[in-house]
Amino acid sequence: MNDRGADVVPGGVDPKALPDLTQRASSAHRMAGTVTAAFAVTGLMWVLFTDIVLYAISHDPVLIARIETAKGWIFISLASLLLYAVTFRSAARLDRVRRLTAAVVESIADGVLLLGHDRRIAYANPAAARMLGCPLDELVGMSAADFSLRFHIAYPGGGLVPPGRYISQRVFDEGGPLHYKVKLAPAGGGELVISAIAAGVRLSLGAPATWVVSVMHDISDTEHLERLRDQFFAAAAHSLKTPVAVIKADVQSLMPAAAPKQRRIAASIDRQCDRIDRLVQNLMVLSRSRSQTLELHPSEMELRPLVEQIAQEGVWSYRHEVRTELTGSPSIRADHERLALVLRNLMYEASRLSLADSPLTLVARPEGDRVAVGVRYHPLPWRDRVSETHGEYDDIGIGRSVAETIAEGHGGSLSDEATDTEMTSWLHLPGGTGAHA
Amino acid sequence: MSKCNDVLIVDDDLDMIEVIELVLHDAGYQTRSALNGKQALDAVELEMPALIVLDMLMPVMNGWQFAQAFRSRYGRAVPIVVATAAEHVERRRNGDITDVLPKPFEISDLLRMVARHVQLPPPPIVQ
Repeated sequence: MNDRGADVVPGGVDPKALPDLTQRASSAHRMAGTVTAAFAVTGLMWVLFTDIVLYAISHDPVLIARIETAKGWIFISLASLLLYAVTFRSAARLDRVRRLTAAVVESIADGVLLLGHDRRIAYANPAAARMLGCPLDELVGMSAADFSLRFHIAYPGGGLVPPGRYISQRVFDEGGPLHYKVKLAPAGGGELVISAIAAGVRLSLGAPATWVVSVMHDISDTEHLERLRDQFFAAAAHSLKTPVAVIKADVQSLMPAAAPKQRRIAASIDRQCDRIDRLVQNLMVLSRSRSQTLELHPSEMELRPLVEQIAQEGVWSYRHEVRTELTGSPSIRADHERLALVLRNLMYEASRLSLADSPLTLVARPEGDRVAVGVRYHPLPWRDRVSETHGEYDDIGIGRSVAETIAEGHGGSLSDEATDTEMTSWLHLPGGTGAHA
Repeated sequence: MSKCNDVLIVDDDLDMIEVIELVLHDAGYQTRSALNGKQALDAVELEMPALIVLDMLMPVMNGWQFAQAFRSRYGRAVPIVVATAAEHVERRRNGDITDVLPKPFEISDLLRMVARHVQLPPPPIVQ
């Protein structure tokens, strides 16, 4: 029984055959010291006891000299045998560890690349060669630039990854482990999407990485499924928008001639159409964000017209008095469509979590080189709230999650500010080039 | 020769066409309709409208293809307003498209946009 607690692990592998990877370099010193000390003690004892025996049985100097010489030869022979046995045992153990390590790495289904201190590929396992459609001897020795020319590494969005930005290169300077998802063009054609992780190999804690191990996991099938899901969401959203547009236009055209009661019902249908439209947009953003295919198309824009447009939308005003509080003419660089969705989500959240007939105030102001847009409202007492904490999958929670995703995509953030009577949900964004108070 | 208040509605959804026609008729415009880009090209060949309200995703010939074909044949005299549920159309807007109305839209926005491009004839003077 060894200290691992079992003689045989499941699968029938004798654990004694496995290298003890927890052994540290200091144990090598200890082992070498023990062998040397044992050798020195044995040698001293040999000399001491054989000398005592020799001088006890003989006083003939010639005989003593001959026996001393024979003793020396015997000692050298025994020491040589011992040295051979120790060296053979160590070399055999090292060889076993080396072969076992190579067998383990070569049997890994993921591609493994080992980069040396010259930042070139020093080793690749068969899975890497298979994945990249490139013979092992061609992979070994490749630099990041060679790799780029050969496999065209690109981000999921399509932009090429500069060789200096490969995680296997960055980890030498930045530490790690680092992770990313990229697509590449293997030698056999087609497109391969991989999730890669790179970590530095350090000989001691805190030392710079002398080697880097990069593991590539093929996620092409998963990506294909996610792309299909994204296409499905896009098609479903488009298909939903058209009937919503027809219903909305129908009820709006009925309103002018309708009796007061019917007009109220028509207005309610109209508001629910807006809500469905916002939900569809949120689900599309969420789906794309999760498959890392969300695209933002920022352009320089004035915030004032957008804030005023959203404040005027009838969906809020049936239950609240909507006000605006605009300081200066803050401009930002943002995706107009997505930013409008964020503000509508924050307005919806505020309208659901606030007292009926209380005011909702859309606030926009410059803050140094940033711009803050917020929705201020009078929150419900906690026991009356629709949702004390935003559930991940209710419409407020989805709206907040989408708002955070879009804010982060713009280099901004969301925050909440509470006073005794008011709550403000803030969206902070970097100001545009023309930002002014 | 075109009528000064004739609006051509191009959409593959008959209900969408009907409601836009109702709203525009009530506002005093004349309308015609087509179910795809190809039918729309036939319609403009018969008579040039004052404005085209165009959906994007349609079978046979989509909105982009229609706009391109229309501009190459007839130039830029007639404005084209795209009414679509597609995302980020504003970004793809080129010289072929005059304005964009995202679906679902408010009727007031539709009327405002049509009025921007088509002037109604003055009401007849009652003696």
